[in-house]
Amino acid sequence: MRTLKGLYLSGCIDIMGYEALDFYDVDSLLTDEERMIRDVVRDWVDSSVIPKIENACREGVFLDEWRQEIGSMGILGAPLKGYGCPGLSYTAYGVICRELERGDSGIRSFASVQGSLAMYPIWDFGSEEQKERYLPKMATGELIGCFGLTEPDYGSNPGDMVTKAVEDGDGFVLNGAKMWITNGTIADLAIVWAKLDGVIRGFIVEKDDPGFSAPEMKGKHSLKASVTSELVFQDCRIPKDRILPGVKGLRGPFSCLNNARYGISWGAVGSAQACYDSARSYAMSRIQFDHPIAAYQLIQNKLAWMLREITKAQLLAYHLGEKKDSGTWIPEHISLAKMNNVDIALEIARVSRDIHGANGILDEYPVMRHMANLESVKTYEGTHDIHNLILGRHITGIQAFTREA
Amino acid sequence: MKAAVLIKQVPDTTAKIDISGGEVDESGIAKWSISPYDEYALESALQMQKDVGATVVAITLGPDRASKSLVDAAAVGADELVHISHEGAIGSFALQTALAEAVKRVGADVVLAGKQAADTNAGSTASGVAKILNWPCVGLVSKIDASEGEFEATRSTVAGLERVSVSSPCVFAFDKGEDKLRIPNVRGIMMAKKKPVQKHTMADLEVDASNGGITESSVTYPPQKPPGQKFEGASSAPEVVSRLRDEANVI
Ligand SMILES: Cc1cc2nc3c(=O)[nH]c(=O)nc-3n(C[C@H](O)[C@H](O)[C@H](O)COP(=O)(O)OP(=O)(O)OC[C@H]3O[C@@H](n4cnc5c(N)ncnc54)[C@H](O)[C@@H]3O)c2cc1C
Repeated sequence: MRTLKGLYLSGCIDIMGYEALDFYDVDSLLTDEERMIRDVVRDWVDSSVIPKIENACREGVFLDEWRQEIGSMGILGAPLKGYGCPGLSYTAYGVICRELERGDSGIRSFASVQGSLAMYPIWDFGSEEQKERYLPKMATGELIGCFGLTEPDYGSNPGDMVTKAVEDGDGFVLNGAKMWITNGTIADLAIVWAKLDGVIRGFIVEKDDPGFSAPEMKGKHSLKASVTSELVFQDCRIPKDRILPGVKGLRGPFSCLNNARYGISWGAVGSAQACYDSARSYAMSRIQFDHPIAAYQLIQNKLAWMLREITKAQLLAYHLGEKKDSGTWIPEHISLAKMNNVDIALEIARVSRDIHGANGILDEYPVMRHMANLESVKTYEGTHDIHNLILGRHITGIQAFTREA
Repeated sequence: MKAAVLIKQVPDTTAKIDISGGEVDESGIAKWSISPYDEYALESALQMQKDVGATVVAITLGPDRASKSLVDAAAVGADELVHISHEGAIGSFALQTALAEAVKRVGADVVLAGKQAADTNAGSTASGVAKILNWPCVGLVSKIDASEGEFEATRSTVAGLERVSVSSPCVFAFDKGEDKLRIPNVRGIMMAKKKPVQKHTMADLEVDASNGGITESSVTYPPQKPPGQKFEGASSAPEVVSRLRDEANVI
């Protein structure tokens, strides 16, 4: 028995850094450049996120140095081309999300919101002047954006939103409130979706516009290192040239969400890899009943299940990236990957927490933080069940969102 | 002004090192990186690029895999890349001769290197290259302020910080620098892949690779630390005290 223990102890424990699980070597399908980008972001997470994240969570802050460093890496708005944007593949964007979320979902949320929810609508639906005015500085992180769709009374059904814009002389006047808005309080500009003559339109509201405020929401048990805010519009007056000319209706916000959800399907893999990595090394070194707990079948079953689910999720994310890059995707493909990958990541976080025993609740290990974060990720960008309904409608042709036909 | 940075690719400091048959088993090393002190040298050269418009030339000697560290250097802004191909072990004298020859051929006015490589810890490259070039060498540098052809270097000594002046041509060996190597930017990465690499062999630099001077005979693991001991309860205090006094000699 003693020698068995000695064997485990000498050979297997690694106190080394993070090892990203990649059982099927899916990353070998990446281009050299995508792998280099992965390494840069991974190294940055190791040196700048991991040592600081627990404290940031305790204090409930998103560090400004993260904004600066993410900006100087040039990864914001990754798949957008021109106007100072990186112009990378969707696969590269996915890899970036995965590596950021391995650190913390809050860091990935910052980048998702900035790139997919704030830069993307300006890039796709904005005027030439709007693109030139905002995009280059948003790509470097000098300007931060947020995305205001959800309202206190309208979450899963944003189509019924009540925030209103009216034309008034040389501008628009906005009234209403948005809630749960990531980056809101730290944002220099907000992409706000509001009804103009009953039609949903996008507006760019700047932080100093009269009648606009963005108080932070406090008391979150999840995504603590991410800023979440209300956006309040009380006769908020903005100039005429702040409407996004290129889109009307729900297609506007939904096309942003498609890109962000795509990124989340990769990001969730990062969280899951982090939880697996921690569970594996903990199981190898924790000795109970004279053996490392990794020597017991029940634990091995859990680890094997994690390996299985992560490998499947990696393949889903990678193939969806190919479809995004080749333009052969439909929104339902994204729903499936977002829903599945967040679901398994959350379950892996819970099982990993279990394997860590009491230690699992401490912030010395990343698992409880990932677990709590993933509860938000499961809800935002379309709740798990909303994605089920999207797929259900795709399968049957019958929508089940409302009770009306 | 041209600044040559000598870069060595080494196993990443997080890599697990296996030794078999008296040699490090390279096949088990998952990640290779630029040696950390060389990174400080590179960052300092990049600051010269910004401050006095220096052209930064990254030079490495090693097998094919080492070209990755040149791409990494280009990603943060190195202007020219030189790869001296050499498979397998090489003695330090041959290595220094080859690097010095490459420095001459690129026409560098100043050489920056790490004080020692993270894998071998030999610490002889910068001074050896300086000797062969017959240039002055400043060791354990943490920062360089450059103006055209003149340098002020900061070095840490036992007494505090020392500032020294030196003019080109000269060699600097970097200790931990004041500034960490900048984070590459993805655009830099895209451009780095396209940057041409000047390739040399030992033969075309007219260096005899077998004239190494020093050869490594074998590598072994450091002696294993004895396992820790655990004592529980107040009653074990006398034993702990006697062990600390008689075995550990700390009290
Ligand atoms: C940390 C965080 C950050 C966020 N950031 C942003 C942001 O930046 N911008 C933004 O606009 N929003 C943001 N959100 C809001 C998020 O998108 C919404 O919370 C989400 O859309 C769900 O809305 P809700 O919370 O109102 O839940 P509800 O829509 O009230 O849903 C409650 C429950 O009912 C279920 N449900 C709803 N409708 C149906 C149905 N028809 N059939 C069956 N079940 C149904 C849901 O699946 C869910 O389980 C954020 C949320 C969080 C938690």
